[in-house]
Amino acid sequence: MVGSNRNRKIRLSVRYAIAVVLLLVMVYPYLYMVLNSLADWSQVDRKLIPDAFTLKSYQWLFLGGETGVTRPWIGSFLNSIVVSLLSTALMMAFGVMVAYALSKLRFRGRDTVNNFILFHMFFPAIILLIPSFLIVQKLGWYDTYWALIIPKGVSLWAVFMYTNFFKAVPDAFIEAAKLDGARDFQILYKIMLPMSKSITSVIFLFLLMERWTELLWDMIMVRSDHMLTLNVLLSQMFGPYGTYPGPLYAGSVLLSLPIIILFILFGKKFQEGMQFTLK
Amino acid sequence: MNQNNPRLGWLFTSPYLIYSLVFFLGPLIWSFYLAFTNWDLIAPTYEFVGFDNFLKALKSPGVQSAFWVTYKFMIVFVPLVIVMSMAVAVLVHGLPKFRSVFLIGFFLPYLSSGVVSSLIVKGFLSYNSPLNETLRRLGVDINWLGSPWAALLVVGAIMAWKFTGYYALILTSGLAGIDKEVYEAAAIDGVSNRQRFWKITLPLMYPAIYTTLILAFGVTFGIFTEVYQLTGGGPNYATNTWQMEIFSQAFKNLQAGYASAIALLASLATFISIFIIRKLLEVWGKRNGWV
Repeated sequence: MVGSNRNRKIRLSVRYAIAVVLLLVMVYPYLYMVLNSLADWSQVDRKLIPDAFTLKSYQWLFLGGETGVTRPWIGSFLNSIVVSLLSTALMMAFGVMVAYALSKLRFRGRDTVNNFILFHMFFPAIILLIPSFLIVQKLGWYDTYWALIIPKGVSLWAVFMYTNFFKAVPDAFIEAAKLDGARDFQILYKIMLPMSKSITSVIFLFLLMERWTELLWDMIMVRSDHMLTLNVLLSQMFGPYGTYPGPLYAGSVLLSLPIIILFILFGKKFQEGMQFTLK
Repeated sequence: MNQNNPRLGWLFTSPYLIYSLVFFLGPLIWSFYLAFTNWDLIAPTYEFVGFDNFLKALKSPGVQSAFWVTYKFMIVFVPLVIVMSMAVAVLVHGLPKFRSVFLIGFFLPYLSSGVVSSLIVKGFLSYNSPLNETLRRLGVDINWLGSPWAALLVVGAIMAWKFTGYYALILTSGLAGIDKEVYEAAAIDGVSNRQRFWKITLPLMYPAIYTTLILAFGVTFGIFTEVYQLTGGGPNYATNTWQMEIFSQAFKNLQAGYASAIALLASLATFISIFIIRKLLEVWGKRNGWV
C-alpha cells in the first residue's frame, strides 16, 4: 500500500509539473510582450528573454520619441475606456430589461418577440456591416462617439443568457414581492439582479472584453485621430511605426493590462457564473 | 407567472425592438437592395445591375479564395483547438488542488486583443527573431507569413491559442458531470485506460464536445482581425477570409454594391456549411449511440 501511495504522489507531481509547463507556454506570449516592452531597443524581438532593460518604450509612448511624433495614446486609451464602459453598460441594462419581459412578464406578442430574436441571432453580422455603416452616416454619427456606442448597445447574447437565468428563478419570489407592494422595476433591481451576481459578472466580462478588443467596427466608424480607440491606434501603428517595435509592445501592455486585471479581480465570481453559463 | 402586463412588456422590450429595426431589419433589407446596384459608396447616383455583382463575385479570385480559405482554416484550427483544449481539460480535471487557478490561467489568452496577439506573433516570427535565428542555424529557413500554408498555420495557431482556455472550461464542466462511480465500476471490470477514454469519457462528454465543435467551426467563419493585421489576406489570397474580402471590397475599393453581394454569398455559404456540420455531428453522435 505504501508503494502505491508513493506512486500516486509521483504521478500527481508529474501532472502538476506538466500543467505548470503547459500554462507557462500558454501565457508566454504575454510574458514576451511585457519583457519586450521593457527591453533595451537593441534586444526587442532579438532574445527570448532580454537581459537589458529600459523604460524608453513607455517614454516614447507617452512623451513622444526623438522624431517628435506623438500619437494620442492617452486620448485613445480614454476613448477605449469610455466607449467600452458605456457600450457594455447599455448592453447589460437592455439585456436585463428585455430578458425580464421575456421571462417574467406576460403580454401578447411575447412569443413573436422571442422568435424574432432567434431569427435575428441566426444572421451572421457581416451581412449588416455595410448598410449599418450607411445608417450611421445618415444619422450623422460618423466619426463620433455615438457611432461607437449606440450600434454596439444591444447584445442578443446577453438577452439570451439573462432570459435563461431569469426563467430559472421561481415565480413565487416575484409573487411574494408583489404582495408586499413591490413594482416591476423594484423586483428587477431588488430581487432579480442581486440573485444573478455571478452570471452578471460573466456577461459583463465577456461583453467588455469583446467591446474592448473590437477592431473592424471601430476602424470603419471613425476617421479622426482623436476619435480612435486604443485597439485601432495600435493596429495602425503597425505600418508606419513598424520600426519602433519597443513602443508597440508598450502599447500592447497598455491595452492588455486593464482587462487582465479586471478578470483576475472578478476571477472567483466569474468561475461561479461560468458553471451556470455552461449548463 | 406574473399577471398580464402588456404595457410594461412592450416598454421593457422596446430598446431591443427599436435597435433591431434600425440596426438589423433596416440594414438587412438595404443589404439585399445594394447587392443589385453598382453603387460605389460616394457617387450620388447608381444603377441597378441585376445579378451582375453575383456573377462577377463568383468568378473573382478573391471570393473563390474566401470560400476555400474558410475550410482550410477549419482543417487547421478545429483539430488543433480541440486537441489542445481536451488536453488542458483532462490535465486540469485530474488535479486535486488549484484547479480553478489553472483554469483561470489557461483562460487568459481568450482576453487578448487580436491586434496584440498578431503584433506579438509578428515580432516573434520576424526575420531576426530568436526562433528564426535558431531555425536558420539548423538549416531551416521559413518565411512564415510569406508562404501560403505557413501563414494559414500561423493564423490558425493564434486562434487556437486564444480559444483553448475557453473551450477547456466547457470541456471540464463536461468532465465534472461524469459520475465517479462509472470509472470505479470500470476499474473493477479491468477496463484499460484507452478503452476507458473511448468507451466512457468520450460518450459521456459528447454534449460538451458537440458544443465546443459547433463554437469552433463557427469561429472559422468570422476570422478578421488576425488576418487583417498579419497578412492582409495574403500571400496571394492564401488567408483571404470572407470578412477580409468584404472589408477590402467595401472600404478599400469602395464597391458597396459588389461587397453587399459578396456578404450575401458569404452568409449563404455560412448557413449551408453550419447546417451540414451540425447534421454530420448529430449523425456521428447517433451512430455511436451517444445521443
